[in-house]
Amino acid sequence: MRPIDYYPGCSLVSSGREMQESFEAVAQAFGHELKPLQDWSCCGSTPAHSISHDYAFLFPAQNLVLAERQGVRDLMVLCPSCYVRLWDARRAVLEDEEKNKRVERLFGQRLRGTARPQFFVETLQGFGLDAMKEKASRPLQGMKAALYYGCLLSRQEWITGFDVEPYRGFLQELIGSLGAEAVPFALERQCCGAGLAVTKPEMSDRMVDRIHDFARRSGANCLVVFCPLCHMNLELRGKADHLPVLYITEAMSLAMGSPHAKVWLGKHLVDPQPLLSELRIA
Amino acid sequence: MDRSFLNEVSRRSGQTFEGCFHCLSCAAGCPVVEAMDYNPNQLIRMMQLGMKNKVLESRAIWLCIGCYSCISQCPNRVNIPALMDTFREMALEEKIQVSEPAILSFHKAFLDQVRKRGRVFELGLMARYKLLTGTFFQDMSAGMQMMRKGRFRLFPSRSGGRKQIRKIMEA
Repeated sequence: MRPIDYYPGCSLVSSGREMQESFEAVAQAFGHELKPLQDWSCCGSTPAHSISHDYAFLFPAQNLVLAERQGVRDLMVLCPSCYVRLWDARRAVLEDEEKNKRVERLFGQRLRGTARPQFFVETLQGFGLDAMKEKASRPLQGMKAALYYGCLLSRQEWITGFDVEPYRGFLQELIGSLGAEAVPFALERQCCGAGLAVTKPEMSDRMVDRIHDFARRSGANCLVVFCPLCHMNLELRGKADHLPVLYITEAMSLAMGSPHAKVWLGKHLVDPQPLLSELRIA
Repeated sequence: MDRSFLNEVSRRSGQTFEGCFHCLSCAAGCPVVEAMDYNPNQLIRMMQLGMKNKVLESRAIWLCIGCYSCISQCPNRVNIPALMDTFREMALEEKIQVSEPAILSFHKAFLDQVRKRGRVFELGLMARYKLLTGTFFQDMSAGMQMMRKGRFRLFPSRSGGRKQIRKIMEA
């Protein structure tokens, strides 16, 4: 088993656990094992950068220093928000000697830039489409997926170096290799409301309803997502009828006949089972 | 005209804002603009005119989600997300009355978790937020659904990095 070093993140061990576990199942099927960063801490997410420039770079920097200490080169990240925060801090510290001095004083070591955060979609691409097709023993025939990227996969390329645009073809083919179909979907980058889902639920309701409505009108029978917060909001918020919302890695696991897929999908707030039964997938 | 506010925001954010020519691309693309009291470009203009209190008291600076829609649509790449971060930080430092207290309470409840454990324990975060805002009964069914489906982790975990985090937060 070849190891994949990764940064877990707070959602991924709680409300987004299905994303982490389904990614792990996929990785294992491709001969990889996940190695979590030892002693990782929170990246600070939106609240940190919202109120303090210091928190915004110091919280993620602590994790990057840890990664360098642990000899990590590629640090895979599942959560798009953690991913953006880690890159933002990395850039800020490496470009500003004063900041790096503070990093050294606090964490006992300068940031050298030897560890590079890698978004999990890059990792998935490395697994290979042909291999994926081979492993998809239970094709998702009839599944019409609206791929929903949200904000953080598509707008921070100047910070992270990752943009979904060059991966769009790959992701459509990936869905195709599972036997499903990706439908054209206009609201693929519209915001789900993110943290406002807690503080302004009625605003998030409107945003989420619109996304589901557009997906349905695009001919989709499910949404496929790449972010634990998008997943939660698309399930929890909105007043109108909801389409099932699957993580990309859940869809992959399902097509690969993973015995755990039922457990993850059973924890969804929008039950995907009626759709899967209707399509005779599971 | 008093340029001190503009100068300070520029210094803190490391950004310049002369590029804004009020084309309204930022406002048109903002997913929450209808709830804002000022458009993002209006805040830029107000800052240039030295209207410090009006800007720092606005609801708009707290409603910004940080989705980066504005900057990706701006023809001059004016960094509005960095501007909003700076406005909020200054509003807190200057003890300006925050006009969206629930949003600030959420940030505080979140950072309390980070301070305590080095990681966020989601159930603890929600309990703390509800306590701070007195909104125990708002949104109960959503929380119950998540609980029933076993979507929350029931026990917190701690990071060895929490000591350094405390040092950062208590500096």
